[in-house]
Order: sequence, then structure tokens, then C-alpha cells
Amino acid sequence: MTETTVILALVVVTALGFDFTNGFHDTANAMATSIATGALRPKVAVALSGILNLIGAFLSVEVALTVSNAVVRIQNADGTPKESLTTDGGTALLLIVLAGLIGGIVWNLFTWLLGLPSSSSHALFGGLVGATIAGLGWAGVNWNGNGTKLDGVVGKVILPALISPVIAGVVAAVGTWLIYKVTVGVAQRFTENGFRWGQIGSASLVSLAHGTNDAQKTMGVITLALIASGEWTDTKNIPFWVKASCALAIALGTYLGGWRIIRTLGKGLVEIAPPQGMAAESSSAAVILASSHLGFALSTTHVATGSIHGSGVGKPGAQVRWRVAGRMVATWLITLPAAAVVGALMWYLGNFVGGVAGAIAIFALLLAAASGMWLRSRHAPVDHNNVNDEWEPVPAPAPASSEKVAL
Amino acid sequence: MSNFGFAIEGAWKVLAAGLVLGAGLPVLFALGIRSLAWGADAAAPRPAGKALAYGLFAVVILGVLLGLTYIVASGFGKTISFDHFWPAIVDK
Repeated sequence: MTETTVILALVVVTALGFDFTNGFHDTANAMATSIATGALRPKVAVALSGILNLIGAFLSVEVALTVSNAVVRIQNADGTPKESLTTDGGTALLLIVLAGLIGGIVWNLFTWLLGLPSSSSHALFGGLVGATIAGLGWAGVNWNGNGTKLDGVVGKVILPALISPVIAGVVAAVGTWLIYKVTVGVAQRFTENGFRWGQIGSASLVSLAHGTNDAQKTMGVITLALIASGEWTDTKNIPFWVKASCALAIALGTYLGGWRIIRTLGKGLVEIAPPQGMAAESSSAAVILASSHLGFALSTTHVATGSIHGSGVGKPGAQVRWRVAGRMVATWLITLPAAAVVGALMWYLGNFVGGVAGAIAIFALLLAAASGMWLRSRHAPVDHNNVNDEWEPVPAPAPASSEKVAL
Repeated sequence: MSNFGFAIEGAWKVLAAGLVLGAGLPVLFALGIRSLAWGADAAAPRPAGKALAYGLFAVVILGVLLGLTYIVASGFGKTISFDHFWPAIVDK
């Protein structure tokens, strides 16, 4: 086994790990509302979402090989890696990708520990940007695109992050307000069952769209690593085992469910009633599909959060916890730089140690960080049993302490 | 045009489509529930209410099917064109 093979194996395992955190971080986007309103029992909701993510991932036949081109310059336009990075058996590129993935995973786990919905795509992009700055310098980052389309860190990450939650929020607020106007005075036996099905249907669409979009990114990253190390040459197709393993990883992660984030989105932001749940998920589904149709990159997380918030604003007299919303927005702002810092540090460390030992060292650090955060989460576990407990906002000095309300 | 210009241009379209599909369809659904309730008056059932309700639900289901078709089509490298008003599946 050559050095490259060992590093490649670490990249593949880490990428699947990222895919897994991507799934469980984002279960809340589709299912938090249905779980909070009791439309679906928690376990049923995550199982449904997991299955739809699995189907969605297999549906994405198109190759998303150029996914990293949005933010960094490590690939050519056709998806092949830059020649300058593949001279040493591809290890230069593999180290950047490995460090970037680690940055993404660490940030995903940290925000999960705090119960904050942050964007997995931004975490991945942030990690890659950081590792690229460390490895290739500032010029290796595609900041602004070339001016012919929405591109670069600004066009694909920052602007959509600012705009998409507002759009989703407006749509959900309008929808919620109108639904309450229309159904005023209608007997509860009609509204209850009707909106229950409305919620389940709209949430299912969000799950399916998530599977097609997000699993593709990891498939693209793994295939890029395979091409860089000479294990694969076809830029038009991806190996079947890559597709199958990515689909399974994201589905399994979704099924495991990031209960802390589900709790924040379902109970923390607003108290959700079934009509609001349906309005929020319909808004999410419509905004996600419309933007993807128009080539407007966005994060499912930002859209879902904006929608749920909007459904609180649109319902007359609803309680909206602006403090929680503020914490989420703050998290979004630091997601890219925070993941970038981790990605950069990992690249420096891996490069300093050098070769296979460097890659193994940063992988070991990832395992240590992941286990540490998992152990920390056991102090105040949130799972399907207590996900819907009453939300009691503590005037928290440190962000982590609000997790303790789950006890 | 700068990134900012592209973003504003895209944002308006997404907002418009979002309002029509993401708020419009749920409102039709709510109207359907209302007319179902109106038609199910225990003393004097009104069949028209039930018929109208199912008509509205059918429109909502068509909207959902459009969304599903788009998801499946985009997975195969296709997209949905609205050039001739009626949606048609075309190459990206």
C-alpha cells in the first residue's frame, strides 16, 4: 500500500463522516415542525426523513464533481484536479481536502452540541477555504467569481445566506397569516387532520430535496480525491460504491437525528401549531426548489430556519423568541470563518508533520474532538423522549448552558 | 454585472415563485379544508362544499407533483421548462 492510498482512505472515511454529520445536522430542517406539533411521532419522523434522504441521494445521477469550484481553485473547470496539486501522487490535494473536511465536521459537531442549526454546506465550504488559504495562499480562494454569474465565496455563500432566510421568512409569514384568516371558525376536527397531512407532505418534499442536493456534494468530493490519486479517471460518472456509501451515510445520519437541533428549531424559536408547520415547510420546499431551479445557491438550514421564524411572525399573537433567532444568525455569520480556521490549522499541522503521518495525526485529532464533544453531550442528553419538553429560556451567560434545560 | 446584482435579480424570482407555490398552495389547501367543513354541515350536508374541497386538494397535489418531478428530473441532469406555459422536462 502506497502513502497516497493510506491518505486517500482517510479522505474517504472523513468525507463519509462529514456526510453523516450533514444528515443528522439537517434532520431538523424537514422534521422539526412535524415533531413539535405531534403530526409525526419523533422516531417515525426521523425514519421517514432518513428513507427520503436515501432515495433522494440515489436519484442524483448528475455528477457534482465541480462542487468545490464555487469557493476554491483546486479543480479545473471540467472537474479534474489542478495539475500542480497532483504531482506528488495527489497528496497535496488530498491534504487540502482532508483538512477542509475535518474543519467542516468539527464545526458541525460543535454547533450540534450547542443545539444550533448551522449550514452544513457553509461548514464544508469554510473548511475547504481555510485549508486552501493555508495550502495555496489567499489567491487559491475564489472570492468573487469572474463576474459572469453568481459565483465565489460572496456569490455562492455570503449573499444567499443573507437573502434566503428573509425570502423564506416572508413566504412563510404570508402563508401563515392567510391560512389563519381562511380557517377562522372552522371546526377543529377538520383543521387538525387536514394540516397534519399538509405538514407531512411538505416536510417529505424538503427531505427528498435535501437528499438529492447534499449527498451529491460529498460524492463530488470523494470522486475528486479518487481522481487526484489516480484511482478514477471518468469526470462524467462516479463509482457506484461512492454513491451507495454516501447515500447510506446521509440517511443513517438523518435517522439518528440531531435531536438538540430539532428541539431548538421545533420548540425554541416559536411555539408551532399545525397550520404554521404546514406554512413553514411549504415555504421551505418552494424556496429550495425555486432557487435550485434558478441556480441560486442556498443552504437548506437557512431556508428552514427563516420559514419557521416567519411562521411565528405571521401568526397573530404568536410568541417569537428573538433571542434564539439572534443566536442562530450569529452562528451563521461565524460558520464560514470558524470552519475555515479549523481547516487551516489542520492543514498546517498535517503539513508540518508531513506525509502519511501528518494525515494520520490530523485524523486522530478529529476522532479526539468528535469523541470529546459526544461525551460532553451525554451530560445533558436530548433525544426522542425529551425533544418536545417545554422550552424555558434561561438568561444564559454562556451559550452552552441553555442545553441544560433539557434535563 | 456584479455578484450583488445577480443576487438581487435571483432573489426577486425566488420570492415570487415562493409566494405563488409556497404560500399560495397552502392557502388553497386551507380553503379546501374550509369548504370541506362547510359541506359537512350535520343538519343539511352540502355536496358542493365537498366537491369544491376535492377540486382544491387536486390543485395542491398537482403542485406537489410538479415539485417531485423537478427533484427527480434534476437528479438526472434535466430541468423543467415553463417556456410554453405548461411544464415540460428538458435537458439542463
